[in-house]
Amino acid sequence: MKESVPELLCMLGRDALPGPFRLEAGQALRLTLLALPGVSVDASLEVQLLGPGAELDLGGLYLCRSDERVRLSVRVRHEAGGAVSHQLLKGIVDGTARFSFDGLIYVAPDAQKTEAVQQNHSLLLSDSCQAETRPQLEIYADDVICSHGATLGHLNADEQFYMRSRGIPEEEARRLQMISFLSPVLSRLPEALQEECLAAL
Amino acid sequence: MSEYLLEINDLHASVSGKEILKGVSLCIAPGEVHAVMGPNGAGKSTLSAVLAGRPDYEVTAGTVLFRGRDLLALSPEERSWAGLFLSFQYPVEIPGVSITNFMKAAVNARRKARGLPELSAAEFLKLMKEKMALVQMKGEFARRELNVGFSGGEKKRNEIFQMAMIDPLFSILDETDSGLDVDALRIVADGVNALRSPEKAAIVITHYKRLLDYIRPDVVHILKEGRIVRTGGPELVEQIEKEGYEGIGA
Repeated sequence: MKESVPELLCMLGRDALPGPFRLEAGQALRLTLLALPGVSVDASLEVQLLGPGAELDLGGLYLCRSDERVRLSVRVRHEAGGAVSHQLLKGIVDGTARFSFDGLIYVAPDAQKTEAVQQNHSLLLSDSCQAETRPQLEIYADDVICSHGATLGHLNADEQFYMRSRGIPEEEARRLQMISFLSPVLSRLPEALQEECLAAL
Repeated sequence: MSEYLLEINDLHASVSGKEILKGVSLCIAPGEVHAVMGPNGAGKSTLSAVLAGRPDYEVTAGTVLFRGRDLLALSPEERSWAGLFLSFQYPVEIPGVSITNFMKAAVNARRKARGLPELSAAEFLKLMKEKMALVQMKGEFARRELNVGFSGGEKKRNEIFQMAMIDPLFSILDETDSGLDVDALRIVADGVNALRSPEKAAIVITHYKRLLDYIRPDVVHILKEGRIVRTGGPELVEQIEKEGYEGIGA
């Protein structure tokens, strides 16, 4: 059994981004980044995985709704084999806000049996907001499982019609859709912060 | 006030500029169940989508009166508040939203629209339990994410559960039988039959006789190429079962 995983929460724009982190063999880190409305920030995170069994579980949630500029750069370096990194960053961009994500996964030549997953998904609510996502994979080992997925999307019309057909007004349906979209990252937050996020939708 | 609950008159509708409904007329009185049958592409699902107010479907001509009101002027949620319900052929999955939270939003929005206070937590739970029993859903069902990972049968039972929670005056069941095994079909049909009453009415859309063996229609319409080509009694169902849609209508 592993020791309990240290959990860190970083409120962007209020807390300084911690790190760089160096995870040795068997060490785990669960880190959640949160950017609430009203926050503009340019933050960089670096995590190195230095031995087998090292594990990074990174979550991120951003809500940018007026003229915020949120820029996030994450570098995950698998220097040794047999380590795992999971990244899931999701957020909603509205108004004239801009969000950008640069995500590098580096896998060293002898870091075999690496597992690295990176996901970044943004929901765009207005015509004048912008979101960019730049996944970068630099993989020099050949026996690895690495994947990345990135989407920029809008609220799904089928979901909306389904909810409205049940009598849920359009505004409330949109809110439920946003909760649905954010739910995998929302669930990482303590309850009080979940409430704060929901109130901001 | 009209004797009919729903009056569709010469309804034309298009999807992406292509005309699908080419003049549909039918009237349904309280207490009646009408079956709409027809081959693939006849416009059956378009008819149900247009009645429920799907935004990307364009009505190009005709009128629809629901309890004497212009249904087409209402938003999808206003149609629901007025008493209309659509059971979807393909219910939508909404991860991260539990059935309980979804139904709470739906039930209370409808109550608000009628000027009623929200249900208390205890009243709501009691209602949930009662309606879940109707479609034989177990307690953990209430906590599941809406339609996520549901089998075909569970999705359709969930539609009938929602119908029971909402208690509509007029229901449209769009191919509620598709993808159901015999047991699920019976549960769904029993659920629908339990909700029949002299004030309520329904349209049952289906390809097959199977569902209509359980939910007996008063009137049967055959929809083909966007028009109703034949209207009759339950005996029409038998005729189609024997002869197919080929020989019917123009």
